[in-house]
Amino acid sequence: MEEIRQFIPFLVPIIIIQLILVAVALSDLIRRERTKGPKWLWALVIIFVNYIGPIVYFVFGREE
Amino acid sequence: MNFQAALRKEMLEQLRTYRLLMVGAVLIVFGLLSPLLAKITPEIIKMIPEGETIAQLLPPPTILDAVAQYLKNTGQFSILLALLVTMGAVVQEKDKGTAAMMLVKPLPRLTFLMAKFTALALMFIVTIAIAGLACYYYTWLLFGALDVPAWLALNGLLLVFVLVYVALTLFCSVLMKSQAGAGALALGLLFIISLIGSIPGLGEHLPGQLLTWGGGLMAGETETYWSALWVSLGIIVAALAGAGLIFQKQEL
Repeated sequence: MEEIRQFIPFLVPIIIIQLILVAVALSDLIRRERTKGPKWLWALVIIFVNYIGPIVYFVFGREE
Repeated sequence: MNFQAALRKEMLEQLRTYRLLMVGAVLIVFGLLSPLLAKITPEIIKMIPEGETIAQLLPPPTILDAVAQYLKNTGQFSILLALLVTMGAVVQEKDKGTAAMMLVKPLPRLTFLMAKFTALALMFIVTIAIAGLACYYYTWLLFGALDVPAWLALNGLLLVFVLVYVALTLFCSVLMKSQAGAGALALGLLFIISLIGSIPGLGEHLPGQLLTWGGGLMAGETETYWSALWVSLGIIVAALAGAGLIFQKQEL
């Protein structure tokens, strides 16, 4: 366990990228009038499914 | 409208639809995560019951494990991304009628297609470059410096590998009537290529070998697989030419 703890700082940039994805996806979701499927469901997916959530939203959720 | 204007439109579109952000985020995360995973896998194994004994049997992770992780992760995910960001490229514009609108202005259809492919290629050039840099940095911190010329070659080969699937998916996007259809056909082609690759003796002439080649370069091997590179470039040219020919005759 001790050995693993020393690598935690390496995760910081990865977590920052995840937060950027979530922030961008949520701000798009809020501004968008219509999405495929209910908005609240997309919000849950974006927030709780790491990495994959925002990406699935970008590909499948947005309606032009 | 000329090629430059069409290219600019495509690149703006990539920003506006978050495709650039998406591809960049996934590839950079794997660039960072791959050397880290290689480094901590033995530690993780130690945490499971009986893991101590298993971990003792494993050789300590080396710089080549980091390279292998990078090749495996970015190889798999970049194909998936190539498929996702390309499948709608043409079919969506036909569906919405924007293709017809754009092509009413004097924009040759081939230029329209080439602008799309160029924009996608540029996107992968930029994102793979950043992912490669990210992986280089973390590998340097965790293991030591990678051989720079070999690393550049590996990422170049990775790029060609991805562009094969971009070109194939673009072809599917021209051919099919829906985005889902294009995605499914592209997946089918991917499956066929991997099936052919499993026939002994054929695999080393196919795109997948490019990644093996890249890994070998990092390990200091001198074996070359030029035929895989020529076949890959051939598939790209053939897919684009096929897409062009079909698109010319399509009614919008």
